[in-house]
Amino acid sequence: MFYREAGQFKTNYRADMAVFPISQDRIGIAIILIVAFGVIPFTASDFMLHAIMIPFLIFSLATIGLNILTGYTGLLSLGTGAFMGVGAYSCYKLATNFPEVHIIIWIVVSGFFSAAVGILFGLPSLRIKGFYLAVATLAAQFFLSWCFIRIPWLVNYNVSNAIEVQRRSLFGIPVTGPEAQPVTRYLIVLSIVVVMTWLASNLVRGRIGRMWMAVRDMDIAAELMGIRLLNTKLLAFAVSSFYCGVAGAMLVFLYYGSAEATAFSINQSFAILSMVIIGGLGSLVGSFMGAALIFTLPILLPQLMGSLGLPIQSATAEHITFMVVGALIVFFLIVEPHGLARLWQIAKQKLRVWPYPY
Amino acid sequence: MRAPDETTIKAGQTLLSVQNVSLSFGGVKAIRDVSFDIKKGEIRAIIGPNGAGKTSMLNVINGFYHPQEGEITFKGVKRKKMRPHDAATGGIARTFQNVALFRSMTTLDNIMAGRTLRMNKNFFWQLLRYGPAEREEIEHRRKVEEIIDFLEIQHIRRVPVGRLPYGLQKRVELGRALAMEPELLLLDEPMAGMNLEEKEDMCRYVIDVNNHYGTTIALIEHDMGVVMDLANRVVVLDYGQKIADGTPDEVKSNQAVIDAYLGVAH
Amino acid sequence: MLCVKPYNMLCKIFVIPFWEMWDLPDIFVQTLWEGLVGGTLYSLIALGFVLVFKASGVFNFAQGIMVVFAALSLVGLHAIGVPAFLALALAAAIMFVLAVTVERVVLRPLVNQPDIILFMATFGLTYFLIGFGELIFGGDPKVMITKELYIPTGTYSIDFAGGRVELQKLDITAMVVASTMVGVLAIFFSKTRIGRALRAVADSHKAALSVGISLNQIWVIVWFAAGLVALVTGVMWGARSEVSFALEIIALKALPVLILGGFTSIPGAIVGGLIIGVGEKVGELYWGPLFGRGIESWLAFMIALIFLLFRPQGLFGEKIIERV
Repeated sequence: MFYREAGQFKTNYRADMAVFPISQDRIGIAIILIVAFGVIPFTASDFMLHAIMIPFLIFSLATIGLNILTGYTGLLSLGTGAFMGVGAYSCYKLATNFPEVHIIIWIVVSGFFSAAVGILFGLPSLRIKGFYLAVATLAAQFFLSWCFIRIPWLVNYNVSNAIEVQRRSLFGIPVTGPEAQPVTRYLIVLSIVVVMTWLASNLVRGRIGRMWMAVRDMDIAAELMGIRLLNTKLLAFAVSSFYCGVAGAMLVFLYYGSAEATAFSINQSFAILSMVIIGGLGSLVGSFMGAALIFTLPILLPQLMGSLGLPIQSATAEHITFMVVGALIVFFLIVEPHGLARLWQIAKQKLRVWPYPY
Repeated sequence: MRAPDETTIKAGQTLLSVQNVSLSFGGVKAIRDVSFDIKKGEIRAIIGPNGAGKTSMLNVINGFYHPQEGEITFKGVKRKKMRPHDAATGGIARTFQNVALFRSMTTLDNIMAGRTLRMNKNFFWQLLRYGPAEREEIEHRRKVEEIIDFLEIQHIRRVPVGRLPYGLQKRVELGRALAMEPELLLLDEPMAGMNLEEKEDMCRYVIDVNNHYGTTIALIEHDMGVVMDLANRVVVLDYGQKIADGTPDEVKSNQAVIDAYLGVAH
Repeated sequence: MLCVKPYNMLCKIFVIPFWEMWDLPDIFVQTLWEGLVGGTLYSLIALGFVLVFKASGVFNFAQGIMVVFAALSLVGLHAIGVPAFLALALAAAIMFVLAVTVERVVLRPLVNQPDIILFMATFGLTYFLIGFGELIFGGDPKVMITKELYIPTGTYSIDFAGGRVELQKLDITAMVVASTMVGVLAIFFSKTRIGRALRAVADSHKAALSVGISLNQIWVIVWFAAGLVALVTGVMWGARSEVSFALEIIALKALPVLILGGFTSIPGAIVGGLIIGVGEKVGELYWGPLFGRGIESWLAFMIALIFLLFRPQGLFGEKIIERV
């Protein structure tokens, strides 16, 4: 009844091609942004900001990264964790070697290092596709994980063999390191994620997004239409890895505070992949939903069980989480292969015609 | 993005010619020593029994298969083999026997994808979108809407093509090829699996494209009635060899063609 | 010692390792043997993959966790007092139940979906089995009931070229068991009715259906076969080290094996596994020190990656002709 486009006519192609052609959607996204920037920082507890909002946003960004590669371009990657790690380690090297440049700049720039590594490991896509390419990304994962552990230069020869984030400030307010307040870190993460999501949505809606999807759906036809397959795939690898790299750098510098190589292990890759699948392949909104679900599940599950009168130990909760995630993946693939994003669309469609069935 | 050899070829001159092309897969010879030409502005049909090498011939022309022997001259440039990208930038578009659309994309996006080569705003403009990239997008959207009007598929603009019935998919695929504004359009069985009404529609589009845009068309078709009505000239393949070449009437009365179709003891 | 300044690195890569191999042949042979045994286990996991891929086109990501799950079931059952061989039979039964469940719950509703969707479903299955296995058996490593299953332990020592090569009886058993299993599978595929049906399904689902072969039945059979292979792998692997979830990650090394061998070739899986196993051990011992050790974790993948660039269809695969 309220969510309806009746009476909203588009008089030019510009309006027709907008991200949110329906005005209720535009109002909705405005409200979300206002809440995210204006309400949450003042009302949410430090725990909420630090333990939920910050990691949720960071994982959403990584999920967008993988979604660009796997969801939009159809190239399966099992090396997301490693590409995130490249971002984190290069950010650390840059920040410690050139402390005069601001850390936030380095966080974003580290994405380029990740992109370069992504292109390198995307090169085999010239000759191989499908699962074979997945094995190539697995090679990246194991090789880079090994580098993170075995090359002490990457962590400036720290005895702990871990990245240790130092204090850096912006306008006198600490943004990284132990003194940085969750609110500050939250706002920085939020800003980066919002801007990068906007850029990603520009990309996927335009010529480049169509090229990616064309390669995904029917690479031979795309090639015969003059789309250069290798360039298109490498671009997807580069952009995807850029996003993952920035997410990785943020993960260490704005969330963990210090990190060892295990933070970027293959399990991280698997976790992000499950976020993509559950959120929906080829959907930016879905990336947020998938990340929210997978990330909050282990936090919510014990509380849910507790409120049902079935208190469980944290180890048990973890095991049940794994089972639930696995079951959810299978469930979504069977019922709705386009994940939460598609369910959201269906709900909107229902709302649009409500109270009529169609 | 045009080839430097952009000598304007006038109607009636040779646009593309295939000389002594042979293609084999392992030991299987798909095409043996075939030569023919396509003149600017004409509708050229390639016919022949199943397995005669027709689709392979189209694949050679737009660079998907590379022949072991022979040459292809396109717009005056002689090549040992075409590359798919060269073929596309040179102005060769095609449709496929088993529809090769981008299934999960909408009709609009499919046809817009056909404009890819003609869009040139780079990555960074695309990132920002507002400004030049958007203007370019709108400009091409106009062209695409023209094609949508021409093919009368306005109502399925926003439908993912995977959900469309076969006949409409074929039409969208034609739209995607037209979006490239090709000089030479290759149609691989554009009317296969269609009912009479759909076939008539498709015939009309083919003729209109040829008349209206002056696009040269090479098509593979099994329906002899359609071929005889549409085509200016027909080349007949059998077992990978050319057995006849000429106007529909000449071909119809050719003994070799009759034998190939009716079957004769070899 | 042999290396002079400007060619130092090249020499360390291309000369010294081979000289070491020649100089101490007993160590080299010992390493080869270790590699072969490790490779046998990779082959076994790859074999499970190939069985499922051949018959259903599903890239079964869960094969690794199935190995862990089978081994855990065996050890877990024995721990609650079930006699060893009964536990083995019961573990096999559990794998059968798993196969039926997977076919009913996962494969049947997803028939005719794109490969990537089916892959992701097995990825979900992996998650589920990890959680389920840890919930029931606990996450800590367990000891395989080697003695109870009468698997011989101890070593044979052979004097060789002035040194001594030690062969674990366990490893010899592993190789014998693995070869026997491959033989049995080969006979099963070529001689039995079900085996022929299986090959028919591998060629074309639709054609198989049209001549009255039940796809569902075939899938249960191959997943069960893969489950049995997983059980054997689990026992052997568990006997060599321990039964733990870490194995699930190591099992990913079956992927480069598949690339070398081709996704549908059983001999390919065997040969690929042995190449990877030997390459990895030899690489680690002779070239590892140059890079700071631990290259075992990625060497297999890199070998596969380089191999892919030159021969994308694998050692035994056929060249793919793309059609439109």
